[in-house]
Order: sequence, then C-alpha cells, then structure tokens
Amino acid sequence: MATAQPWGRAAEPVSSDPPPSPGTSVEPFVFTGTTREYFGIWIVNILLTIVTLGIYSAWAKVRRLRYFYGNTHLAGSSFDYHAKPVQILIGRIIVLVVLLVYNVILNVAPPAAIVLVPLFVLATPWFIMRGLRFNARVTSFRNVRFDFHGGYGGAFRAYVLGGIVAWLSLGILAPFASRWMWRYMLVNTTYGGRPVASDPALRKLYGQWLLPAVILMATVVVLGLSALALGNALYAVYQDVRAGGNDADAIVVAILQVLTTSLLPFIVVLAVVTLIYRAGTRNVALNATVVDGRHRFRSAIHRGRFTWITVTNLLATVFSLGLARPWAAIRMSRFLAAATALEVSGSLDDYLSDLKDTGSAVGAEYMDVEGFDFGF
Amino acid sequence: MASESVRGAWFPPGSSRKVEATVARTANGDLVVVAGQAVLARAAPSEIEFSARVGSIPRRLAFPNGSLFETADNDGIDRLSGSAGAVHELERFRPRLFVFAAIVVGLCFLIYRFAVPTMVELAVAITPPVVPQLMSQGALASLDETLLAQSELPEARQTAIREGFNQLAGLSPRGADGYVLHFRKGGSIGPNAFALPDGSIVLTDELVTLAPGQDAVLGVLAHEIGHVEREHSLRQLYRAAGIAALIMLIGGDIGSGAEDILVQGSALVGLSYSRSQEAEADRSSVELMLKAGRDPAAIVGFLEIVRDRLEKTQGSDFFSTHPATQQRIEAVKTYAEELAKR
Repeated sequence: MATAQPWGRAAEPVSSDPPPSPGTSVEPFVFTGTTREYFGIWIVNILLTIVTLGIYSAWAKVRRLRYFYGNTHLAGSSFDYHAKPVQILIGRIIVLVVLLVYNVILNVAPPAAIVLVPLFVLATPWFIMRGLRFNARVTSFRNVRFDFHGGYGGAFRAYVLGGIVAWLSLGILAPFASRWMWRYMLVNTTYGGRPVASDPALRKLYGQWLLPAVILMATVVVLGLSALALGNALYAVYQDVRAGGNDADAIVVAILQVLTTSLLPFIVVLAVVTLIYRAGTRNVALNATVVDGRHRFRSAIHRGRFTWITVTNLLATVFSLGLARPWAAIRMSRFLAAATALEVSGSLDDYLSDLKDTGSAVGAEYMDVEGFDFGF
Repeated sequence: MASESVRGAWFPPGSSRKVEATVARTANGDLVVVAGQAVLARAAPSEIEFSARVGSIPRRLAFPNGSLFETADNDGIDRLSGSAGAVHELERFRPRLFVFAAIVVGLCFLIYRFAVPTMVELAVAITPPVVPQLMSQGALASLDETLLAQSELPEARQTAIREGFNQLAGLSPRGADGYVLHFRKGGSIGPNAFALPDGSIVLTDELVTLAPGQDAVLGVLAHEIGHVEREHSLRQLYRAAGIAALIMLIGGDIGSGAEDILVQGSALVGLSYSRSQEAEADRSSVELMLKAGRDPAAIVGFLEIVRDRLEKTQGSDFFSTHPATQQRIEAVKTYAEELAKR
C-alpha cells in the first residue's frame, strides 16, 4: 500500500458537479491546527486528567474540541464549541453510573438480561438523538448556533434498524443504512433556524459500495480456497482419528490454524473496505447536501488516501505508545478539511441565532463512551 | 482615549453579520468595540465573557448585550484581559512538554502496576458477601439451563468424593460450611471443574471418569478451593472493569482504533493474569492436600492426562488461560518436594 494509486478512480470527482453558477464562490474548509500546538494541549490534558483523578477529563474534552473547531475555517471565519465543562462532567458521571449499574445487574442477576438488553438497545437511539442535539446546539459559526430536530423514530431506523439490515444482508443492503444515517444526521440539522437538505441517491451509494464489495468477495474466495486446503488436512486428521491413530484434540489444532490463517486476514480486509466505503458515502452524502436551499457542500475525499491515512495513523499511534496521536489527529483533520468545500451562494451575513437551552450532555457523553463517532 | 486597540470582527446579538471593528480599553477601564466612529458595544471587563485561550484559535469576547467580538490576536486580548490563563501557559510548546510526556508515561505505568491492584483489593474488601452469592446463583442457574445436565455418576462414587471434599474444605480457612460441591454432566464443556465466588464448586462426570484416581480428583477440587479462598473471580472482574474505565477516562483522544487495540490488548494481558491465578491455585492445592495427609502432588495425575491429550497443541502457551501444562506439572512437583522437606 505504498501510494494511493491502486484505487485510482476512487474519489467522487468534484469536476463532475455542475460548475458554480454566477454569484457563488467555492469556499474551501481550511484546517490550521498544528502538531506542535496540539501536542501541548493533548499532553497537558492527559497529565491533568490523571492528577485530578479523572475530573479534568471534562475540561480536557472542551479544550480539545475548541482547538479543533476553532482551527476549522470557512470563508474567513472559524467554528466554535461552547459546551461548559461542568455540563460535560455531569453527563459523564451519569453515563458511567448507568453503565456501571447495568453491568452490575447483568453480573449479579443474569436472567435480568432478557429485559435489560432489549431496553438498552431501545434506549440507544434516544441517547444518540439527544447527543446529536447537544452537539449541534453547542456548535457555532459566525456567532450563530446550529440545532438538531431529529426524533426517536428516525434515530431508531438509522442506528438500530440500519445496523440490523446491513448485517443480516451481509452488507448487501448497507447503502440503505448509510442513506438513513446520513439523512438523519444532515436533514435534521439547522443553522440559524434555516434547514439543511440532503438526498444522497441510492444509486450513487451503491456506486461507492461496489469496490469494497468486490475486494471483500475476492478476499473471501482466496481465503476460502486456503481454508479448503486446510480443510483437506483437517479431513486427513479426522480419518487418522477414526483409525485410532490420533486424538480428537488434533482437530482443535487444525481448526485453530484455519482461524488464524483465514479469520485474521479477513478481519483486516473487512476493516479496510469499511474505511473505503465510509469515505465514499461521505462524499456522496455531502455532495447531495444543500444548506438553506442555496449553499452546496462539496466533498472529494480520495478513498485510498483516506484509508492510507487512517491505517498509518493507527500504526504510528500504536508503535509510539500513543505519543504520535497529536500528529495523527491533526493530519486527519487537515486531510478532511482540504477535501471539503462549500459553494457559497450569496452572503453568509443574514443568519440569526435562535439560541435554545442546550439540555444535558448525557447523550453526547454516552456517544463518547460507547465510541460513536459522527465527526465530519 | 484608547490605550491600545485590537483588530477583529464584531457580530450583532445573535447575528452572523460580520463587521470589521476594533476593541480598546477606555480611560475608566471599560472595553469598547468601535467601527469607524460608531460605538458598537461597551462593557466593564468583569461583565464580558472572555473565551479561554486554546492554542491560537480565535478569541471570543461575549458582551452582556449578546453581541460578540472575535479576533485572532490572542496576545492583544491577553494584554487587555491581563492574562493568557494558567493552562495555556502549561500547554505552550517548550522543552518541559517532553518532561510532561515522560511523567505521563511513568504515571500510566504506576497506575497499572500499583493503583489498579490496590483499587481491586479495596473493591474486593468492601464487596458485601451477598454480591458473590447472587452472582454465583445466577451463573449456576443459567449454566444448568444451557450447558450442564444432571450427573450420571454412581451414588457411591459421589459419596466417596464428597467425603474427601468435605475433609479438604474443613481444613481451608472458610471451613466446610463455606463450600457446596455440585456434580454435573459436562456435556459440551467436557472434563471440567470450576469454582463460583460463593464457594459453589462444579465437578463434571467427565473429569471424574478421566482422572486416574480419587486423589487426582481431590487435587483438582483443592485447586478450585484455592480459587475461592483467594477470591480470584471477583478480582478478575474488578480488574477488567477498572482497566476499561481507565482507558476510557485517560484515553481521551487516542483515536477509536487505538482504543479498541488497548481494550483487546488488556484482555490478552488479562489472560496472563489468570495464568498467575492458576499457578496460585495449584500451589494451594499442594498445601491443602498435604494438610489432609494425602498425596500433595495428586493434581499432577490429572494434569499429565491433560498434557497427553493436548500434546500436539501448538501455541497453547500464549492463548490459553492455563499455563502450559508441562510447566504446571513441574511447578507442582517442585513445590510439593519443597514443602515435604520442611
């Protein structure tokens, strides 16, 4: 995976979009954060979190997000993150206590799982909905806040039903899930009370699905053949056992070999094609998104580059015992910003904030703890 | 009237309309936002909400009337407000950041090596006995429903083993009342014995059939008693939970991929942790059997059979929760000889 060449025609070419009409200007997103600066913020965050027995983690989160939002510029202005650390801290404590109680009950009284696990699954969309709303309401651009109006039903379809459908169909219906997820996130967002429209076409999502699907199929065939070869060895062992010349545990060994030679590479390939697919759907979804009926998004992530950056970021972080993480985070933000633009039609001056109470941070913290990542 | 002015942009209350402006301090100490001749906003510094300085992101001054002044001139604002903030001073890129990094690495090691075990001991100490009881009842009930079946061992055999077991349990600190022996048919879990934290010990028919004799079975049961005495399952549970919480808390921004690897990695390390628990339980089997006047190395009889069955298994050293069987056999023999000499 030396260069991005193997996936040559990967990115949704920006040039295929209609050229901007008169009166519009293409404003690129620009990320100005530096590794040098962020390293200091990052290491002090960790140090103070340890020293304060975890309490500072809420302040750390606010400083980290303010750094990333504040360094993301569009048309000469930057974004800002307004959550109060105390809100984050309370949300974090509530989520930890809920998860603790949940796990204690599951351990102490396993039969309760029959009720608790479905309840937990049903509660997840609610947490996500409230989390997205909180995150939108604490985000501003040019003194005007975002808002989020998504309901429970849409969240359930996007995050529970979508997941079930994608997995049960072995990924064949994944584009439906992607469409539900992106639409839920984008269409329910407003900026200064003005709506966002997004209608990613299924046909285009399937276009992005094709390459990952082909790679995955090829992998299954190759690994399947090698597993078949091992299966022959397995059969020989089995006959040996029947002849009484061997014992049953040899079969276990052979099965272990099948797992390590087939399953592990499969998981790695699955992770890689997931990255390729995620980059592709982001392009499709954002390119079908219009803010306030006139400002169009443009996203042209090169899928190969995105995958390469994600994988090398992970390797660098792991082999540096985490110390390369600031570099990796800045590198990814810079890459994503550079591949994104807004076709601004008319002026960005005429938005008015309808400031609302942000509500509690519980949902947002739940998304954090459970690892939901909806960063653009 | 203005001593020093800082250039930036001003936004009217709740509006995205950007106005080029400057902010300056007046003679009476107020801060005033001016564009040309027009005064756009004015307030005492104590009424203005200054956003904290983070790196070199734009600074915000929220005025009481809801309007906002924004500027990239962080140093200018620091002069107006009098400070850049203590945290920002710490975060500045200076050689001492590398000292911080070293301290963080050192602290993480200390937490893992000392704080986690201490917290686990503390949690075990304050856990009321009802918790392991409930855990065990629930676990045994669900195992009975799924994997285990009624024992088919002859009554006489059960009684003989139970007598030996009661003798062993009576010699252990918890006493005979602290233990209940359950005979079950193992089915898919095969020859096995395991202890639940409340002192319930489950023994499968298959293990009894496989073991070379009564003493080998008792050696295994003494090993399980050792697990209960040392509260191994509670310790392991608390340890896993504690490490997961620490990763989430301290991890902050390490990326979701790296976080997954850390969690999986700590599960692998957990395997080696339970291997040391196995070794501990082996030693306590030797001690208990010796006390009972039986063959202290009796468990070896069973372990040798396990070893012969797993002879061709490669890599069990790494993934298994039980230390490679040959190592265990030798460790038990050595320890038994050692105790015999005393």
